[in-house]
Amino acid sequence: MEIQSEFVFNGSRDDLWANLLDPTVLAKALPGTKLELVEEDRYEGQMEATVGPVTAARFDVTIELVDKVAPESFTMRVDGKGAAGFTKGTALVQLAEQGPTETLMKYTADLQVGGRIAGVGQRLLDSVANSMSRQGLEAINRHLQGEAPAEAAAPLQLLSRPVLAAIAVVIIVAVLLVVLL
Amino acid sequence: MSAAHFGAAVSRNEDARLLTGQALFVDDVQLEGMLHAAFLRSDYAHARITNLDVSAAQESEGVVAVYTAADLGEYWQPGPLLVPPQPIERLEFHCATQVPLAKDKVRHVGEPIAVVVARSRYEAEDALPLIRVELEPLPAVANPVAALEPDAPRIHEQFESNLAAHAIQEKGDYASIVDQAALVVRRHLDHDRGASAPMENRGVVASWDRKCGELTVWDTTQAPIPIRNGLARMLGLPETQVRVIAPFIGGGFGPKIMMFYPEEVLLPWVTMQLGQPVKWIEDRQESFFATTQERSQVHDAELAVDAEGRILGVRDVFVYDAGAYNPYGLTLPINTQCTLLGPYEVPNYYTEFRAAFTNKPIVSPIRGAGRQPGVFVMERLLDIAARELGIDVMEIRRRNFLPPDAFPHDHGIIYQDSASLVYDSGNYLPALERAAEMIDYHRFLDETQPALRAEGRHVGIGIVSYVEGTGIGPYEGARVSIEPSGRVNLATGVGTQGQGHFTSFAQIAADQLGVEVADVEVVTGDTGKFHWGTGTFASRGAVVAGNACHAAAVALREKILEQAAQELEAATADLELVAGTARVKEAPERSIAFGELAVRANPLRGGVKPGTEPGLEATAYFGPEKGSTASGVHAMIVEVDPETAMVDVQRYVVVHDCGKVINPTIVRGQIIGGVAHGIGNCFYEQLVFDENAQLQNASFMDYLIPTATDVPPVDTDHIETPSPFNPLGIKGAGEAGAIPTNPLFAQAVENALQVPGLEVLEMPLSPNRLFELLCAAREAD
Amino acid sequence: MKPAPFRYLRPGTVDDALDLLTEHGPQAKLLAGGQSLIPTMNFRLSQPAVLIDLNRLGELAGIEESRRGLMIGAMTRQRAAERSGAVRDRAPLLSEAMPFISHPQVRNRGTIGGSLAHADPAAELPALMVALDAEFLVRDRDHQRRIAAADFYTGLFATALAPDEMLLSVEVPKTPKRTGWAFEEISRRHGDYALVGVATTITLDRKGRCDGAHIVLLSVGDGPVAASQAVAGLAGEEPTADAIRQAAEVTATRDIDPPADIHASAAYRRQLARVLTTRALTRAVARAQGAEVSETGAR
Repeated sequence: MEIQSEFVFNGSRDDLWANLLDPTVLAKALPGTKLELVEEDRYEGQMEATVGPVTAARFDVTIELVDKVAPESFTMRVDGKGAAGFTKGTALVQLAEQGPTETLMKYTADLQVGGRIAGVGQRLLDSVANSMSRQGLEAINRHLQGEAPAEAAAPLQLLSRPVLAAIAVVIIVAVLLVVLL
Repeated sequence: MSAAHFGAAVSRNEDARLLTGQALFVDDVQLEGMLHAAFLRSDYAHARITNLDVSAAQESEGVVAVYTAADLGEYWQPGPLLVPPQPIERLEFHCATQVPLAKDKVRHVGEPIAVVVARSRYEAEDALPLIRVELEPLPAVANPVAALEPDAPRIHEQFESNLAAHAIQEKGDYASIVDQAALVVRRHLDHDRGASAPMENRGVVASWDRKCGELTVWDTTQAPIPIRNGLARMLGLPETQVRVIAPFIGGGFGPKIMMFYPEEVLLPWVTMQLGQPVKWIEDRQESFFATTQERSQVHDAELAVDAEGRILGVRDVFVYDAGAYNPYGLTLPINTQCTLLGPYEVPNYYTEFRAAFTNKPIVSPIRGAGRQPGVFVMERLLDIAARELGIDVMEIRRRNFLPPDAFPHDHGIIYQDSASLVYDSGNYLPALERAAEMIDYHRFLDETQPALRAEGRHVGIGIVSYVEGTGIGPYEGARVSIEPSGRVNLATGVGTQGQGHFTSFAQIAADQLGVEVADVEVVTGDTGKFHWGTGTFASRGAVVAGNACHAAAVALREKILEQAAQELEAATADLELVAGTARVKEAPERSIAFGELAVRANPLRGGVKPGTEPGLEATAYFGPEKGSTASGVHAMIVEVDPETAMVDVQRYVVVHDCGKVINPTIVRGQIIGGVAHGIGNCFYEQLVFDENAQLQNASFMDYLIPTATDVPPVDTDHIETPSPFNPLGIKGAGEAGAIPTNPLFAQAVENALQVPGLEVLEMPLSPNRLFELLCAAREAD
Repeated sequence: MKPAPFRYLRPGTVDDALDLLTEHGPQAKLLAGGQSLIPTMNFRLSQPAVLIDLNRLGELAGIEESRRGLMIGAMTRQRAAERSGAVRDRAPLLSEAMPFISHPQVRNRGTIGGSLAHADPAAELPALMVALDAEFLVRDRDHQRRIAAADFYTGLFATALAPDEMLLSVEVPKTPKRTGWAFEEISRRHGDYALVGVATTITLDRKGRCDGAHIVLLSVGDGPVAASQAVAGLAGEEPTADAIRQAAEVTATRDIDPPADIHASAAYRRQLARVLTTRALTRAVARAQGAEVSETGAR
């Protein structure tokens, strides 16, 4: 599936870029995730997502950042595998200045979903994709504006240094597909 | 012979057992020490297996064994090619059959990689995620047309492309007449995949008795005898030491034929390894990947007609989706080629197909077996030609029907049974007229429809014709015997999946033997009871096994008469068989019961005449040289809500000709079941794959089977044109109900909406898709 | 399709259930009718370590008339609400819509509270409760509080319930005078997840003008979606056919942003929302004006 969307942040592009590289911000975007930097711009770890009344199976994830052009754009490659299926995707994220305190994020993600989550989750793919990426981006935006972070649904452990939190676009979309039914 | 039972609507012998839960299904088999199997299946449609480690799974609680392809040794073999390619000139055919467990590569989602055997199914499933399998994803191809592109991902490395077959069949010379046509209709038509979705999924229980050296397999197969023979060969056992039982089965519809599915091949091997019985019952989720599917074809077709709408010729070029493996050969696309001709005189015909491997589950016949896409193409082209020429849809069919004196009619192209396509008999016009009368076709168009339209209601009618080649060879057999209790036993090899075999075969025998239908005990599908035959497919049970039952019963009747003649000191011609006794017609008090005759036919002491065969028993076989061609007309009334694009099927009429009818109740049941299947195929049931060949609706939450409230009452009637090709004059009836529903639905929906430019050229048609077509047509208008 | 291992607990009182919920926290799932949870567990997409079965909590089952209207216990079976005379009298919209919830077999087992707390965006009951201005009574071990239905739904499968809170009952106010109601839904087959559904009420003033309305849709967003712009447009207006058509247009084009799936594109969902809102409002207005109106005609 292909997801194309955009989001306006209330902050400057440089601030946003820095925020996207801040691990505490990731905590808000990706509750229930353990990620470790295994080499430059490459992360491995596990994610476990719980949405509403449905618990999810665990996924092993690999995230790679490529074509990083600060503070304008980057591409992510995400690979997730678990007993419930797999996700695999690429997202291009672009940041454009719209003013001193306004930045437009455009993202295009191409996502493959396979296995059980593809077979029984189709009804919710679209909703999950939209709703979760929006929530992740809103959390980042709140942080950007210096607001108190929203309560995370589950504790997050981050074992390493910055990762671009906007991977929400792909990962959350992908992993939270587990919601289903 | 009396004919009291043949043709009568007697109630079914098997219903009491089925309705009170006394019938044995595979999952009812419980054996001491029985283990349970679960399969690790691929999540990827196309991937290389780079690593496979089952050690953690082996340690999991309750697990007895875990097997991968590497453990199978010599037993790891690709499955058999079930139907050898038909003798078509210049045919190109590439065969790749499924393997028991994937070794290097997986080629569709759900392909099995490992099997876990544990004390319970729960524990077996708990261990599945502990298997570490590394799969390196490869690009997958879902669309059969895309699969034939030069740069498409290669599914089978041993071939140059994904082309599984290419065949051209011709009759007359289409190219030479197309210029003379008053009208040539050219269209692109699409037919997507569906599932068979039986109420009972597949299942296997295998039990190896080491001391007796005997393997027993309970299997939801439509063809237990070929499975027995194949397993014996693969396992190195004598055929007599393998018994395959196909007990009651909750629906077959084709995919349960002798596929030699991985599970079917592995469980017998596993029980021989472990010395304990083992059970596997396919769950509904597995069924969406592990059981074969059908119907995806893409056609570019043209129909040339003269100014009166008479067919000059048809040209059809199509791509057939074979799925990841093609063990069933070319049966389906050849059925499409042959069935497209329908009940019509088609002097010139060019038909060409290419079969494509795709990364989707394997394709094999499902009720209708390739016929639906052919009928869809022909009927739709006729509808369009009728519209363009201003002829009524019934009239254009009437003008093109083969006349009753045209039979047997040889089309000169090769059919699925490898012989020339010959229609044995047919009389098509009466069925069309009867169906029109039953649905009140002309009054509907002249009065009802305009009146409803004035109320703002969009109600439409459709009427279409079809033929169906049924009852093909090679052969079936039956043994009829009478035991000293007087009980009549009948055993035949074909398996039963709900078709009423226990009754219709009993009816045939009862007439010969002068007993009641309920007095004939029928056994089907147990190789321990009868081990010659092929199986239940191609609407052939009644035709082929039915005639074998008839032949055996006739032979037994002769035996009884001869023996009774000796005992009663009368000529056989003076005897009659009544109520389980043989008696002298003119002196009924001179009689002898069958049981007594059976005792005397099996003496325990004393001598017999040389050449005497013991017992009251006869075995006979029947193999038709050619199949019999059933036909019919379906008509339908639908209401469409043009605002929501929802369609309500309100009336359904079937006039069917399956030759001599053994039991009208059973035939009616088969027809109605088929219609429900057909309504599913046209409006509800579609397997939706994404571009990576991932199935999007692998549950009954999203794969929609019509329920009782979605199927209207079906009115049926019967035209009887006996087949000259078998003694009982029977034609098959099991698949017919499902065959013409798609073009019928399309025609009726178009008739209801009457939106210029709206043409339904694809199946299934969901309301979402109809909404899109409506928007496009309104925009273009 | 066998569930992963889990511990099964069956408390006898609400207090015990809340204690268990506090003890096991996010490891636990509450089992009400099980019509969504059990399939999810069988698919192994939900693997709770502990299942707390509420089916022994008789105190949570039942429908009582209250001063405001109706109190419906969370463990009341959907079928009981469907057949309840009190529901028919006091909340006829609910009565009209109950048969759309899946099949009788599911309603026999499925509970009012289970569906409300599950918060499936395609579920009928959440949208109905929002349209009826219902209030949810929830409790944890120490406190009890009331939450308006509209505030209860916070996102996709997300509610205002804290992890240690449980839904006890829902209070549905009596339908006011000069109020009409209607429910419309389209699904592929009866009982399937709705492609779109809409619950409407409209209250008229003495001059026959709109004095308040609800248009709440299901299957078009993350949860029940209230068509607030359409409702605002109706306020104070005479509900003519044109006004209804206008409200439906606003609903379909501005109030919702529907998702797409294999059964319905976003455009098709908008069209269905347009048609169903028109049909529902038309019937609701007729009822408010005192006309006899047939039960919903949609599939």
